[in-house]
Amino acid sequence: MDKKKLRNDIILIISLLAVAAVSLILIINKSVKTNLVARISVQNNVVEVIDLSKKEEKDFYIDGINGKVHVHTIDGSIAIVESNCPHQDCVRMGYISDSSHPIICAYNGVYITIDGETLNDVELG
Amino acid sequence: MKNKFLLPLIILVSTSCSQNTFVLKDKVFCFDTYIETNLYEGNNEDLSNIKDMFTLFDKLSDNYLSRDVTNIFSINSTNEELEINPSLYSLIKTSIDVNDEGATYFNPLCGSLSKKWKAALKEGKVLSQEEIDEELVKMNNSSIFFKDNNIIQRIGEAEIDLGGIAKGYTLDIVNDYLKEKEYKHFLINGGSSSILLGEKKSSDGYFNVGLRDLSNAYIKAKNCFISTSSKSVQGVKIGDITYSHIINPTNGSAINENDAVIVISQKGYLGDALSTSMMMNTIEEIKQIEIDSGVKTIVIKNNHIIYKNDEIDVYYH
Repeated sequence: MDKKKLRNDIILIISLLAVAAVSLILIINKSVKTNLVARISVQNNVVEVIDLSKKEEKDFYIDGINGKVHVHTIDGSIAIVESNCPHQDCVRMGYISDSSHPIICAYNGVYITIDGETLNDVELG
Repeated sequence: MKNKFLLPLIILVSTSCSQNTFVLKDKVFCFDTYIETNLYEGNNEDLSNIKDMFTLFDKLSDNYLSRDVTNIFSINSTNEELEINPSLYSLIKTSIDVNDEGATYFNPLCGSLSKKWKAALKEGKVLSQEEIDEELVKMNNSSIFFKDNNIIQRIGEAEIDLGGIAKGYTLDIVNDYLKEKEYKHFLINGGSSSILLGEKKSSDGYFNVGLRDLSNAYIKAKNCFISTSSKSVQGVKIGDITYSHIINPTNGSAINENDAVIVISQKGYLGDALSTSMMMNTIEEIKQIEIDSGVKTIVIKNNHIIYKNDEIDVYYH
């Protein structure tokens, strides 16, 4: 009877330790950013998906609604480097490398976001 | 006997570690940015209704394009009396009245001055004092006449620009809708500069809100609006000076006192207008406005917090 009780106690302790270990792994994973992926959309349709974690230098020429938009990636970041829009706000935003701020070229309907697990529920700024 | 409890216990512990992931999401391009709605309760009809609210106010407050409604562009195009949507009437009225709530550097009649600054900075130039003075004279000689809750008349040459208040005002309308439905769990991100928070579905209900102007910093917040104005996004550096898209309506300058201001408030319109206006305020003035208007503020300069309301805790990852 005592042996059975001891066995059950051991099973219970091992089970709880296993649950704790899994929880710890999940918490640790949450604090590390996952691979970042940039999505380029034109009028809400995704036209390019780029894995920024490869840190490749590449050029993309996106057909916006009023002309071509030149997008450049380098070292895990992405930018609109050329656009025919009147205000050039999108070009002035420069390179982004996290999900806190999308790049928007309203004139061409082009929207660039970076997806990936972040530590916060929302970014302000 | 214990074995009977073992499996349920493990399931209970496991499920307590996972979060409720039900969320309705929607994204709409309004106010020159993307508005992201996250409802942790409700239905698709709610998403659609919220989208309609943003779309309507985006059209009404547009000062660049003629839309299928009488909007700010229409008002700026004439000095005649115009019959407008009562919602737009109320928004314009609020943009004037917010001055009495502490937003002393907020002036909706700075539209043409803002446009001129934007055009000049795009070319890497600074407006001359003569050009600024000319615009200030226009502003000081202009006014808005209100009648019957739906009639408006722009008097003078200055143009109306509601860019610093329209998003927060619309978030107030959305918040009222969500409150009427008795929803508690939501997060609406107005392009990262105006955020409406309900409660997170977690034990304490707080959302972690990252502060982009401070590396790795975040605050915990719920049931409030958070608005920010910052030079870091649209600022243009010419020589050693960073010029802002936020214009001081009293002297016409594009140089701000502060680099970024974060306002936590119970009203979106107030948070938006104050975060804009406080870019020009001194810390002593900001402290007084906090007392008068019941808001909480963080002020950032040179990548450091130079003032923080005692009731706000800033954490770092």
